[in-house]
Amino acid sequence: MALRVTPGMMQSQLMRNINHNLTRMSSQQNELSTGRRLNKPSDDPVGITYSLRYRSELAMNEQYDKNVSQAKSQLDHVDTVVGQLNDIVQRAQELCIQALNGTNPQTALDAIAVEIGQIYEQAITIGNDQLNGKFIFNGQMTDKAPYDATTAYTATAPESDDQLINVRFSAGVSVPINVTGGEVFGKTTDSDNLFKTLKDIQNALTPTANKTALENAYGRLNTRYDQIINVRSEVGARTNRVDLIDQRLKDLEYNITTLQSETEDTDMAETIMRYNQEEAVYQASLSTGAKIISPTLIDYLR
Amino acid sequence: MRSTFHSIETAKRALFTEQANISTTGHNISNANTPGFSRQRVNLVASRPIEAPGYMRTNIPGQLGTGVEFTSITRVREKFLDDQFRNANRSLGEWSVQTDTLSKIETVFNEPSDSGIRTVMDNFWKSWTDLSKDPESITGRKIVRENALALVDAMNETSKHLTDLQADLTTNIATKTEQINSISKSVADLNLEIKRLEAYGDNPNDLMDERDYLVDQLSKMVNVTVVNTADGYNITVGAGITLVNGINAPGTTVQGLEEQFNGGGVVGGEIEGLIVSRDRILMDYKSQLDAMADTLVNGEITVTIPAGSTYNGTKLIDDTPVTVKGINGLHKLGFLFNTPPNTPVQAGDIFVTSDGSTTVTAENIKLSQDIINDPMNIATSLRTEVISGSLETVKGNNSLANLMAGLKETQFQFSPVASQNGITNGTIDEFYASMIGQLGLQSQEADRQSTNQQDIVTQVDSRRQSVSGVSLDEEMSDLIKYQHAYSAAARFMTAIDETLDKVINGMGVVGR
Repeated sequence: MALRVTPGMMQSQLMRNINHNLTRMSSQQNELSTGRRLNKPSDDPVGITYSLRYRSELAMNEQYDKNVSQAKSQLDHVDTVVGQLNDIVQRAQELCIQALNGTNPQTALDAIAVEIGQIYEQAITIGNDQLNGKFIFNGQMTDKAPYDATTAYTATAPESDDQLINVRFSAGVSVPINVTGGEVFGKTTDSDNLFKTLKDIQNALTPTANKTALENAYGRLNTRYDQIINVRSEVGARTNRVDLIDQRLKDLEYNITTLQSETEDTDMAETIMRYNQEEAVYQASLSTGAKIISPTLIDYLR
Repeated sequence: MRSTFHSIETAKRALFTEQANISTTGHNISNANTPGFSRQRVNLVASRPIEAPGYMRTNIPGQLGTGVEFTSITRVREKFLDDQFRNANRSLGEWSVQTDTLSKIETVFNEPSDSGIRTVMDNFWKSWTDLSKDPESITGRKIVRENALALVDAMNETSKHLTDLQADLTTNIATKTEQINSISKSVADLNLEIKRLEAYGDNPNDLMDERDYLVDQLSKMVNVTVVNTADGYNITVGAGITLVNGINAPGTTVQGLEEQFNGGGVVGGEIEGLIVSRDRILMDYKSQLDAMADTLVNGEITVTIPAGSTYNGTKLIDDTPVTVKGINGLHKLGFLFNTPPNTPVQAGDIFVTSDGSTTVTAENIKLSQDIINDPMNIATSLRTEVISGSLETVKGNNSLANLMAGLKETQFQFSPVASQNGITNGTIDEFYASMIGQLGLQSQEADRQSTNQQDIVTQVDSRRQSVSGVSLDEEMSDLIKYQHAYSAAARFMTAIDETLDKVINGMGVVGR
């Protein structure tokens, strides 16, 4: 079509094209300088929904990571304390064997009885152990001491709480971070209740020795000891589980960070290349523009 | 017989006409950059030829030319292109306003960032997890309280920004209406002047250009229908609004335009863009945000209460799923700490409304005053036990805190109002992400449309420029043409002068 061309047309066309070039350059420059290709929802409406989810998941992951370290330190503490209990129960076993030897004079048995008494006191102390001001062997009733030295061995001693405290490590995954007093020391009704057993041993030694009762109590002490070992290995298993969760969270974090970066971040190499292309086009449009716009017939009329 | 001075008259006509040509060319060059100007042309015709006067028809063969004259000066313009331009301009007006509004909304939501609603929401859930690890303490509760306040603030703030945007748009609509009226007034004034000049048989080209330029501006603001009558342009909007009627400009009002919009009469133009932005786009995002707030607080959720918890006064033997109304409903299952002999107190609402209404919106959501005053009013425990003879809340029980933290992944039932989001059942996060995704799509689309329309407008304008624009090259070559013609006419005049000189002074002197 024979179009009549006027300078106004050429000028507005040139301006439009230069403007288009500049718009593209500015958006690429923005990508390059922020390092992100997703700066506002309209940059990538589909990507933004993923981006929001990744960011959210990373934030929660960070929180779960904190939960993991707290759970670990709590489980480690429980392990240490149960370990201590393990040690004193072993000592009580040794003392029982010594007492059962049959050649001990009453004074020696009295001395053993005194030591068993000490072990009993120590067991109470361990039973009332606190971490951060919270009793660790009283289930969810962390504000109440579970054991009282004067009543713990009686049949009417109050039962310690048997509920577990769960900590969340991700959606739907939670791990209990405590063991209950009942599992460790035996319930009040259990025949091998540690406090009752220790008291029975003490009573079987002094003031007069009762070998049958001692043997019976020694047997119960052994089953309790097995229980304590069981609890300890369960704590160990839970620590392992938390370690695994920890590992999984770290893997997840890496994966999500990669995904987030793929969604949000600028592909520097590609963008720089495209930017250079745009720049070349822009330069070209400027220089041809300068050539086209300036001359008119007036320049050649003298 | 022809007159002796006939040719002098012919030369004079030529000189005058070429002068008119040169003046018009000068006028065109002067207005090369005037917006709305269309180039003008002098319409030349050969003047009426004559024959010598006599008693009867002369027998001299042929008709004698009498030179040139111009009948009119007209502008070069195509009405069709004007209509096309105005249609495109109308769409440009509409989309550029929508693009502007949507990009403002994007700024309000400010996603993806570390300070948007998503972040405060995450922090809120995280603080519950923190509290679940230390349910006995006041510290964890204070963190929950602060994060709840931050969440409420973020929602209030966002909702307020959207309301402010709506108010801005209302002001804009009023300003645009005033502009429309003032332009309409100018058009009516020009109609009067043009009519007066046309009565003399003239073409008021420059005034007509000015009038067309004003209509161009109007076309960006609202869809106008222009009818050219004997009284000038009559301009109407839709079926009910007459902006200009001959020399009168009744104009319009904001209310009138809004009524037309509702009746489907306002289609396109900045006015439509503004009304759509305010009444549809902004309303939509506001209502979605409101739905999100309301659902968070009151939406139906199903949670599993762990065994050992106290529910409805009895101790649960097994894990029991129950359906409750939102975060408030869940919180109310919990028990606050008590000191015997006081009995455990059921926890209250977490979020309330600041204006006392029953429906929670993003604007009126507020943290319960009880919790603001004393964070111990945040419950974490679902369990009560009789301890040493008196009923007590179990302080180490963190079941409620865990359930609260789990709400992040819990499916909420959204009210039907929110269904324009496409989500009736999902997590708060999903709802929010889908809202932001929708915003991104709309904004992208509006941006694309307005870029397109801008291109179309420039293109049509370029076509118009092709027809009406002043080309300096052309004008200059015309100028030279006219200048030469003028010189030639002058030379012609001199030639005739010399001929007459010969007759008058050089004849009848034979043999002198």
